[in-house]
Formats: sequence, structure tokens, C-alpha cells
Amino acid sequence: MTGMHLGRDRVTLIAGGVALAVYATLFASSYDQRILTLSGVYVIMVLGYQFIFGHSGALSLAQGAFFGVGAYVTGIVGSQFGTGFLITFPLSIALATLLAAIVAAPVLRLASHYFALATLALNQLLLVIAVNWESVTGGANGIPGVPPVILFDWQVGRGLPLLVFVWALAAAAMLIAHWQLRPSRVSSFTVMRETPLAAPAFGIEPGLLRFRAFLFSAAFGGAAGALFVHTNRVVSPETLGFGIMVTCLTMTVVGGRFRIAGAVIGALLLTHLPEWFRGLDEYYLVAVGFLLLAMVVFAPNGLAPLFLRAGEPSRLSKTIAGDIEPPAKSTAGLVIEGLSKRYGGVRALDGASLQVEPGEIVGLIGPNGAGKTTLANLVTGIERGDAGHVERASANLSVLSATAIARSGIARTFQTSQLPDELTVRQVVSTAAVNLGSTAPADKVVNGALALCKLSDDADTHCGTLPHGVRRRVEIARAIAGDPGVLVLDEPAAGLADEEQRQVADICRALAHAGTAILLIDHNLEFLRTSVTRLACMDAGRIIMEGPFDTVLADPAVRAAYFGMADQ
Amino acid sequence: MFAAQLALNALALGSAYALVAIGFVLVLNATTAVNFAHGESVVAGGFAAVAIAGLLPAGIPGIVLLPGVLVVTALLGLIIAGVAYLPIRSRPPVSVFVTTIAFGIIVTNGLNAVFGAAPRTAPALVGSGAVEFLGVTVSLQSLAIIATAALLIGALAFVLQRTQLGRQFRACSQDPEMARALGIRLVRITLLGFALGTAFAGAAGLLLAHQFFVSPSDGGILILKAYIAVVIGGWGSLRGASVGALLIAVFEVGVASVSSQPVAEAMLYIAVLLVLFVRPEGVFGEPQRVRA
Repeated sequence: MTGMHLGRDRVTLIAGGVALAVYATLFASSYDQRILTLSGVYVIMVLGYQFIFGHSGALSLAQGAFFGVGAYVTGIVGSQFGTGFLITFPLSIALATLLAAIVAAPVLRLASHYFALATLALNQLLLVIAVNWESVTGGANGIPGVPPVILFDWQVGRGLPLLVFVWALAAAAMLIAHWQLRPSRVSSFTVMRETPLAAPAFGIEPGLLRFRAFLFSAAFGGAAGALFVHTNRVVSPETLGFGIMVTCLTMTVVGGRFRIAGAVIGALLLTHLPEWFRGLDEYYLVAVGFLLLAMVVFAPNGLAPLFLRAGEPSRLSKTIAGDIEPPAKSTAGLVIEGLSKRYGGVRALDGASLQVEPGEIVGLIGPNGAGKTTLANLVTGIERGDAGHVERASANLSVLSATAIARSGIARTFQTSQLPDELTVRQVVSTAAVNLGSTAPADKVVNGALALCKLSDDADTHCGTLPHGVRRRVEIARAIAGDPGVLVLDEPAAGLADEEQRQVADICRALAHAGTAILLIDHNLEFLRTSVTRLACMDAGRIIMEGPFDTVLADPAVRAAYFGMADQ
Repeated sequence: MFAAQLALNALALGSAYALVAIGFVLVLNATTAVNFAHGESVVAGGFAAVAIAGLLPAGIPGIVLLPGVLVVTALLGLIIAGVAYLPIRSRPPVSVFVTTIAFGIIVTNGLNAVFGAAPRTAPALVGSGAVEFLGVTVSLQSLAIIATAALLIGALAFVLQRTQLGRQFRACSQDPEMARALGIRLVRITLLGFALGTAFAGAAGLLLAHQFFVSPSDGGILILKAYIAVVIGGWGSLRGASVGALLIAVFEVGVASVSSQPVAEAMLYIAVLLVLFVRPEGVFGEPQRVRA
């Protein structure tokens, strides 16, 4: 299926490209060529914007700011010092990227709306500076006389030469985007966007991923701004205005947030619409507003999917290997020492200590609010404890980030399953395998994990359509894709039918048999009885009893805490 | 004397900003949605005042326009809710950001097409001129702005604290799941939040449009100020938003008095980026707990 679509898509893309080239060279008037040149400029801007708005899922309103920085750098340096394109173009890109790197610290870690409005503040700040710093920027009128593109001795003339030059750079931008957005990277972005809480468990460093996306968006924006002023030969505050930001946003939404072809479709369409709808006059921009609104409501993935059928191709091999034995791993257990955590006045953890040896399955029970999930969060670095530490192979894990802990071989599942709806089971597991940096070849690890969790038949199903019981096993397959030495399972059997519970218990025993240390949090005593080697009971943030299953359950303190039975 | 006048100017500006910020928080509390068309709603209120004043005899005091402006912008709020929020409320928040931005584009360019890009002015609330008070010359407009804003905020406080509808509204903002379980109809509360919030923005438009003029493209700056006020005051807090709005006005009027308006504006943006760097959860806000 996918292969056929890929072939068809290639034909569509080549046909589109040829038609565009024929139109540009044979039929376009000089005015049409100017519009096409601007389309090429916007293609570059939108490609950059797709990194941050599409793949990172963050609404940046600073793409116009980076565009404006690129425009002003080329405008000022080019017109005041007569410096050539070979200096001003890289300089425009570099300064836009530098600005992004500087503001990344305050804005990039902000939650969605904070990020959007902080980036808007950045854009407004630059606009105020551009309008009021007249001696340098030329104020509201800007600076005329920006030189044309001159490469060594060749001056790129107006019309067709500039059009070809800009589209050549747009093609280069597409290649860079294509190289950056390989399938595993795209899946990582999807995980970060849809299940941010679980990103570290996938071995994904969300901060780093978002930072790179932001820098790429700025670099592309700066390049587009530089080419924009070479096309217009003047730089003015228009380049920093909200109008260009809105144009870029609309192109991205209309064409599609994720596909390279979407950037081309969006840019071509939105630069030509004003020509086609001349009759609307000043109401044209009102119509653009309606278009943007309608696209988000009715076609959130843009127009690109209408032309191109193939989804994100999975390049990993489809064959499922026969071996379902998990590979042997370095043997080191988990040591939890005196962990404490307070939320305001509540002591969620109050000096909890526990050890899990390699090959052992330790069950953890306790009433709601006893601190079981908080313990899992502290062990896996999702939250920081106030006191105590977590050790493995005499390395202190308490100081590491959640991602570093996951990569060091401590995996977990979540009480409410954290799987991106858009990804297939195979993509979920392989994304984790790639990002967690497992030592074995990714294909083999993925197929092994899928087979062990009895998911081979569902490998190409999207997670969003999976029933609850299967999602539980996908969570486990995702967790073991990094070949962990320690596995923390937070209520893996909750809501499962008997048969499904048995499957999970089988998986746990197979993993423990191969040397994994497993901490198994659950309420289901039948499930625990068949799974665990040892049982621990928590209450009020402490481990109150641990030992063999029956001994712990017979303990009066456990019975009082867990079953609410008073001592007789 | 000069300082007292500055303080009064700041208080008047801050009262108008407070209405904008409170309107923003009302929508936020009813829906958890960030309404990016909120700045344009202020602009729409200003132009509604200009348009209604044009239909009435010249020299009419601006305060007479208030009911009309409130009704028009409340309707606008209902349209924003119906077109840009309700159809996509179950999607990720970024979708609502984009649809409300799109709605703002429609409002801005619609007003631009009808009224033109030039700044317009609405009538003074009760009349121009000034009164002498304890040796300080006080503009009537400033006093009227403060009084009108106080009246609206007082009325809102009464509705939220003392009426059944207000209690339902507060219940929804604190815990929508529980509110739904109690039989409160969320869509109704959503519509109420958008209508009230946008009407507050519209009222601010009327208050600002005399002294500061109003032009179609002002929306971007106004939403930024509302947002900065909310960040300073703590996300979702009505009282905090009012305090934040006053602080912004004091900052603006203070810095502008010793330098210039553009410098004040630039400093404000730098200040907010610095605030976010030091305290991403806002000045008075509480860090939120993750639940994995």
C-alpha cells in the first residue's frame, strides 16, 4: 500500500514541479515571476515554521521576528557598507539564529500559551526598535537601495534569474528539512507533542528537541527575510509586522504543518490568492481570516494530504524475527534509600526505602494516596525528591534528568497509558529503541519486544485505535525497547480481563527470568500472587512491611492499612 | 502635584487595562482557552462606540454608549465562542489559539475595510475639562474611566459571588469535570464566559478610545498587555489580573514621563521576558503539580 502511494506521490511531485517550471519560464509575465519569486521566499520561511509550529506543536509568533532580523541585517549591512550577498546572507541567518538561541532560555520552556505570547512580545519589541531607532533602521520608512544579489562577479538580475536563484535556495531548504526530519525524528516529535509526560520514558529530551526546532525555524526565517529584501530592494518595518507572521501561519495551516510539500502548496496558494480574488479589494484579508479559521476547523492537516497519499513511511523492516527471548543484560538492581517528598503540607513520601534485585519481581501495594506513584515518579526522575536517593550499580540516579535515567536502563510504564494516537505500535516501540540508544540493532530489539508482548499482529495499527488491554502491552513493549535493567510498572493490570492479566504476568516473568529487576505497582492481588517474588506494602509514604506474598498479606499492620481491618 | 496627576492618569489607564485583563481571565476560567481575539475585541468595542455615537446627535456623552457597546461586544463574544472555540474545543489548545487569531484577523481587517486604517476617537465619557481637587487638576475623563471601571468590576463581583449563575461559573473554572457531574451545563458557562469577557474588553475599548484613539490594528498590543497583566497576577486570578493591569499602567506612565512612549513599551516587553525567565509561573502564581 505505502509503496504504491509513494510511487504515485513521486509522480505527483515531479509533475507539479515540471508544471511550475514550465509556467515560470514560458508563460509567466515579469509580474507573475515576481510573485513566484516571493512564493519561493515564503517556502523557506514556512519550512522553518513547520519545525516549531508543526513538529514541535508550539505556536511561535516570532517567525516574523526572525524574518525581520534577516531582512534588516541584509538591508542595513548591504545598503550601508555595500557588503555582498556571500557575507550578508550567512550573517542574516546567523543573527536570526543567535537571537533564537538567546531568547530560547526564557521562552522555550514555557507552556503553550505563555510561549505564544512571549514570542509575540519579542516580535513587538523588535518592531518598536525598528520604527523608533531611526538613525540605524530608517524608522517607519525603512531603508531603500538594498543591493541585488551579487555572487562574485555575477549579478542575479530581476525576473527569471532571481526567480531561479530563490527557488534553488528553496530546494536546498527542502533538502535540509528532509534530512532533519527523518522518520525516527518525526516520531520523536510526535511523542513530545502528544504525550509530553512520557517523552523522557522514550529517551527523548524534549528541551533539546524543541531547542533545535526553534533554531531551525529562526535560521530559515532569517534566510527568507534576507531574500525578501533582495527581491523588494527595500527594508521597512513591514518585514516585522504582524501581517507577515499571519501570512506564514496561514500558509502553514493551509498547506499542512508537517509535509515539505505542504510548505510549497501553502506558499504558492497564498501568494497567488490576492491575484485571483482581486474583486474582494480591502475585504481580501477578511477572506484570509475565514480561510484560516475554516482550515483549522475542517481540515486541520492542510491541503498536502489531498495531493499526497502516503503517510509517514516506516523504514524499519517489517519482518518479525522468531526469537522472543529477551537478551541478557548487565545485572544491577535498584536501591531506594529514604526517599521523601512533600507537596505543600502533604507528605507524599516519608523516608521510603526498598531494594529490587536483578531477576526479582517486587510487588508494591498500598491504599490510594500511600505514595506509590510518587515513588515511581521519583525513581524515574519525573519529579525530584526532597531527601533520600536512588542508586543503581552504585551510581546516584537522583541527580540525573528523567531522560538520562531512562537511558541508563530504568524504564517505566504509566498508570494512564501515554501513547501518541497517531503513531503505529511499531513506530512507538522503534522510537523508544532509537532514542534510548539500545546497543543491539534497532530492528531486532523492536521485533523482539513486539513478539514478547504478543503484539506482532498489531504492529502496524495506530495506537489511537487500540483497545485498552492492548495499549497496556504496547506500554510494556515501549518500556523494554531500550533493553532496561530495571522496569517500573505502574498498575499494568488495571482494568484488564483475566486473560489479559495472565499475558502481562507472563511477560513480567519472562523479563525477570532474563535478569530484569521489576517493581510492580498494582491493586489486583490475584495478579500479584501469580507474578511477584516478593511483596511490599506502603502506607503514608513509608514501606510498612515487605517479604513473601502471604506473610505480608497476613501482617496486621498491612491488613489495617490496606484492607481497613482493625486488629482483632 | 505633578506626581499626583501622574498617579491619577496611571490609575485611569490601569482601570481600563484591568477590564481588558479581567475579560481575558473570564474566558480563560470558563474554558481554559486562551482567546487571541481578545485584543481585537477591545478594538471592536472602541469602534462600536464610534459607530453608535455617529448615529446619535453630536455632543452626546460617551457613558450613554456603554449599554450599546456592551451588547454589541457580548454578541461578538458569543460569535467567537460559536465559531472559533466550540467546534474544536476537544482539540489541542494550539488549535484554539489559531482559530482565535484567525477571528482577530477577520475583525481587524473588517474594521479596516469599513472604517479605514486611521485612528478614530470616541466621545468623552461625561465631558472634557477638568476639576480642581485639593490643589490637583484632575481630568473629568480620568475620573469617569475609574468610576465606570469600578462600577463594572463591582457588578461582576456581585454576579460571581452572590448569584447562582456566578457560583456555577466559579465551580466550572475550578473543576469542570465535577461541575459537569453536578449537572451544570458547560456550554452555557462557556458562552457566558465569552460574552462577559468580550463585553468587558468592549467596555475597555470605549474607555480608551477617547484619549488614546482606536485604530483597527491595535489588537496585538492590547492582548499583550492583558496577557502581561495576567502573567504578573497569576494565571486565572481575577484579582491578580486587576493588580497586574494597574502595575503595567504605573510602569507605562512612569517610564513614559521620564523618557518616551516607545521606550516605555520596549521596556515593558523586556520586563515581561525577564519575568518569564525568572518565574515562568507568574509573579504571584503557584507552580503546578505533575501527575504521571
